[in-house]
Amino acid sequence: MIERLVVLAEARYTRLILLGLLFLSLQTTIFNEMRPFGVSLQVMLLLAASCGLAKGSQTGAVAGFIIGLLYDMVLTTPLGLCAAVFAVVGYLAGFVHTFVHESTWWSRMLASLGVSIIGMFMLPIAFTITGAEGVLTTDVFLVASVVAVFNAVLSLPTEWLCNWAIRDESLVR
Amino acid sequence: MAGYSFTRRRAILLLSLTSVLLITLDLRGSSAVNFTRSAFGSVFRPIESATRVVTRPIQNTWNGITRYNDVLAENRRLRDLVAYDEGATIAAIASVREAQELLALNGLPTLAGISSCTAQVVGQSPSNFAQTVELNRGSECGIKVGMPVLNAAGMIGKVTDVYNKRSVVMLITDPGYSLSVKIVNTPPTTTTTTIPGQVVESTTTTTTTTTTTTIPRTTTTTIKGFTPGGTAAPTTTQPLQPGETAPPGTVGPNQPGKNTNSPITVPAGADLPLRETGALEGRGLTKSPVVRFIENQPRFGAVAVGSPVISSGGATSLAPPDIVIGTVSRVVKRSGTLGPLLEVKLSANFDNLNFVRVLLYQPITERPTAP
Repeated sequence: MIERLVVLAEARYTRLILLGLLFLSLQTTIFNEMRPFGVSLQVMLLLAASCGLAKGSQTGAVAGFIIGLLYDMVLTTPLGLCAAVFAVVGYLAGFVHTFVHESTWWSRMLASLGVSIIGMFMLPIAFTITGAEGVLTTDVFLVASVVAVFNAVLSLPTEWLCNWAIRDESLVR
Repeated sequence: MAGYSFTRRRAILLLSLTSVLLITLDLRGSSAVNFTRSAFGSVFRPIESATRVVTRPIQNTWNGITRYNDVLAENRRLRDLVAYDEGATIAAIASVREAQELLALNGLPTLAGISSCTAQVVGQSPSNFAQTVELNRGSECGIKVGMPVLNAAGMIGKVTDVYNKRSVVMLITDPGYSLSVKIVNTPPTTTTTTIPGQVVESTTTTTTTTTTTTIPRTTTTTIKGFTPGGTAAPTTTQPLQPGETAPPGTVGPNQPGKNTNSPITVPAGADLPLRETGALEGRGLTKSPVVRFIENQPRFGAVAVGSPVISSGGATSLAPPDIVIGTVSRVVKRSGTLGPLLEVKLSANFDNLNFVRVLLYQPITERPTAP
């Protein structure tokens, strides 16, 4: 029984879920209160993008989906909406970075900035498609800019965390 | 691009289909989705509470850096405001009680007759695109979807999701919120009003002649649209001019073909505050809500800035009547038959929501229909 629990805890996506819960609690507490320029910083989006940067597009898409699903649980938006958007963000983060010949710290930050902007534009578009009104306004530009800069700044330490969380089980043992 | 394998395509397809399935289930109000959310909330709540405790010093530091001057300025302003409002509050409370007594005496619905559940705001939406707050009371208190939520200042929103010990409130500023409201247009002279005092009646043998003697008593009020005693609508009588016929029912008994020299009763309601209904719609936290569909009636006249906006009530309304929402802050005139667009300054302060009251009043439109 204990062995099974240990194996479960060693699973890469279990660690990702635990990391996601930690980020979600930060999202709903400290980053909900600290709103520079009136914008709520999106660490869940940062986590999804960093997973893609750390482990490539396929793992990024799955990780983004899981992180988005966790975020959907505390939002009033339809379940699965953030999951879909974050999956795209995770996929794009990994995909975009395949074009970089020699990865540097600033190219990773730039990729995180780019996919965060895309993600912050996709969210209100997805909300509008599912029936929400008044979310697709010019405010999105400010929101996307602030969120993207913040995510770019914190992308390197978050990528390190993602590397730790979703590394291969064989390396854990 | 070499890595774009069959496995990858299958994974993307699987994720897309799962997303669509989940969105469809949620939009159709699946109970499984609600249960999952509720269960997740129960698991996540302790984690969130622990994180809140741990991160509180950082939050306080941030607030100290970014909001210190604002807090000082607001504190000074609030002290002035409290001193200013103390007198007005007492008068307003007395007026509200009188109004509720009058409504109750006439068998009309009042807020006093509606039970409520007091709750505390424990969180707000971390999203930039939805204005919701979370309360620490839920279905165990009798809260149901659609119930109006207010604080001491006025209406703040409606309940959209209910769990056992928590509920989610969509704020009035959310673009998805809409409520029928009425605007009490302030008459040109609102600072000085007369209150009917003693009434002396005298009756003649042939026609009922009511003579109302009004002893003018001058009072002043600073509440726009609120005219003490203004709703009493005293009746005045005017003697009939020679050749005029009194309408049937005003005098009796009727004598067909014969003129009577009876007075005509004219309701003195010309100087009462006029009311007009419209639909209040939220536009996000950064923009004031607006009221649309106000008719361009000449009698209603131009809407004055500062006129109170209150819920209109009615069978299909989301809230009972006469809940304070705010005041008109700007009037945008529109051409043609379009009525004016009114921007509303909400009376509740949405930056500092703490204790709120959920009225246990479920609108007809929010009641579940039998399958």
